[in-house]
Amino acid sequence: MAESLKPGTARAPGHTYQEAILKDSSRPPEAFLDHSYEFMGDQDIPYSHYTSKDYAAREMENLWPHVWQMACREEHIAEPGDYQVYDIGHLSAIVTRTESMEIKAYVNACMHRGTALKPPGDNGFCQSFRCPFHGWIYSLDGELVEVPESWDFPHVGAETHSLREILVDTWAGFVFVNFDREAEPLDEFLGVLPEHFKDFDIGNRYIETHVCKRLPVNWKAAEEAFMEAYHVKETHAGGRDFSEPVTTYDVYPLNVSRFIHTVGSVNPRMPVPPTEQELLSAMWGRRGANDQACPTVPEGVTARDVYAEVVKKSLGEQYGQDFSHYSTAQTLDSIEYFLFPNFFIFPGLSLPMAYRFRPDPDDPDYSYFDLYFLRPSQPGVTPPPPPEPIMLDVKDSYTLAEGLGFLGAVYDQDTDNMAAQTRGFKTCAKGGQTLGNYQEVRIRHLHSRVQDYVGEEQ
Amino acid sequence: MTTLEMPALAPEQREVVTVGGRCVLVCNVGGVHYAVENRCTHQETTLHEGRIRHGFIACPLHGVRFDLKTGEPKGDLTRIPLRTFSVTEEDGTLTISDAEC
Repeated sequence: MAESLKPGTARAPGHTYQEAILKDSSRPPEAFLDHSYEFMGDQDIPYSHYTSKDYAAREMENLWPHVWQMACREEHIAEPGDYQVYDIGHLSAIVTRTESMEIKAYVNACMHRGTALKPPGDNGFCQSFRCPFHGWIYSLDGELVEVPESWDFPHVGAETHSLREILVDTWAGFVFVNFDREAEPLDEFLGVLPEHFKDFDIGNRYIETHVCKRLPVNWKAAEEAFMEAYHVKETHAGGRDFSEPVTTYDVYPLNVSRFIHTVGSVNPRMPVPPTEQELLSAMWGRRGANDQACPTVPEGVTARDVYAEVVKKSLGEQYGQDFSHYSTAQTLDSIEYFLFPNFFIFPGLSLPMAYRFRPDPDDPDYSYFDLYFLRPSQPGVTPPPPPEPIMLDVKDSYTLAEGLGFLGAVYDQDTDNMAAQTRGFKTCAKGGQTLGNYQEVRIRHLHSRVQDYVGEEQ
Repeated sequence: MTTLEMPALAPEQREVVTVGGRCVLVCNVGGVHYAVENRCTHQETTLHEGRIRHGFIACPLHGVRFDLKTGEPKGDLTRIPLRTFSVTEEDGTLTISDAEC
């Protein structure tokens, strides 16, 4: 067991993430060298926060209508009349592009008798929003422009019956909505994200793959599966000794947390460290995906630096870009940022994902997971349009989704844990999840923010 | 089986024709010709004024999208696919057929 230190001060033996990346030949972005951790307590997280329908109802009432959420990418609504429906719980928004190219969002309900104007998750194009029930028509600007048999509605007009607007704003090519018209500006909600992402051109990426899977677990536990690298050794490496990645965990006010872990560095716990050549061979075998022989690591150079150059060149050719300015850490490492309550983004070059999680509105034991692969757009070339999402049900393997590559099997391993957690939450006599003070601090941060909105049980 | 012959369309052009008594929308999308029944299976309006993007036509009334190749709809407004017609092209002439395809 851990020796007795002030809670939260213990760290894995050996070098830290920040110390590890300073050994790279290229200087990492300053944000990578920052470490922002605070001890947030060590109380168990009650299982009822995952399983209770009452708790889920309070989240629906007090949390989801008041927070910024990623609704789509700007390329989903590239032209006037393009629209994307974003559903969260029983709330639904239509996000669209107006004739003046402005992005707007409306409550997805006709002002006549409340009929949803568009089906859940729908996307497409229209010249106006026309209710399928009685044919009331709204312009792309949300204005009520036609009421059939208007003689019967002298009490109805554009002033009173236009679509209700929802706050909408963009960052890094993502479109965010907030159902609370009194909410703080998106820029304020994003906290450190714009500053930390200034070295990445996320806005200039396009969606290569989009998978939407129904998960057998509460939305918070689903997110938690991706918030720590503590599980990597057992879940993804079969318990192999020294497979723990060197990781930094950081929490930023109010809504951001992150981890970054090295790829291809020495695990400082190994009694006999591998040679740089052995490290490169291990990366080459696992991720090389080409027929070329593994290069020789020159004297005085690290495997990470050699491999990063290979990746930058390979991806540069694939996507018609020059990535030579990317540092080794930017190129290789697993860099994952989280924006409360449900959005993850990996700005790194090798792992190009974004995640969005949403609760099942009727069953706290289930949730929905949108998984995007974002790739750099080639200069001067129109990127392909956003793909239709590949829909996967609870039992479907991610390996059925073309485009996920070796990560498909990795996500399956995570999903197996989720189903087991849902079962265990209901039989575990202890009453709550116990968390590591450092490696699982992002989970505690998530629950702390949820509690800020939901409040204590009455 | 009924067939109709007509000149091939210029890229991104569309034309409404009659095949076997049915109103059919023929369109050239990126150099490939498609033919589908010109009637939305949601609320039966004509489709020919709908915008075509990414291989889908969006109904101008409520926005239901149909895959021009298979006729399959997207979304929940209808679960009924569009009827599709086979199209062959030879020497600049299209042959539209109402045989099952």
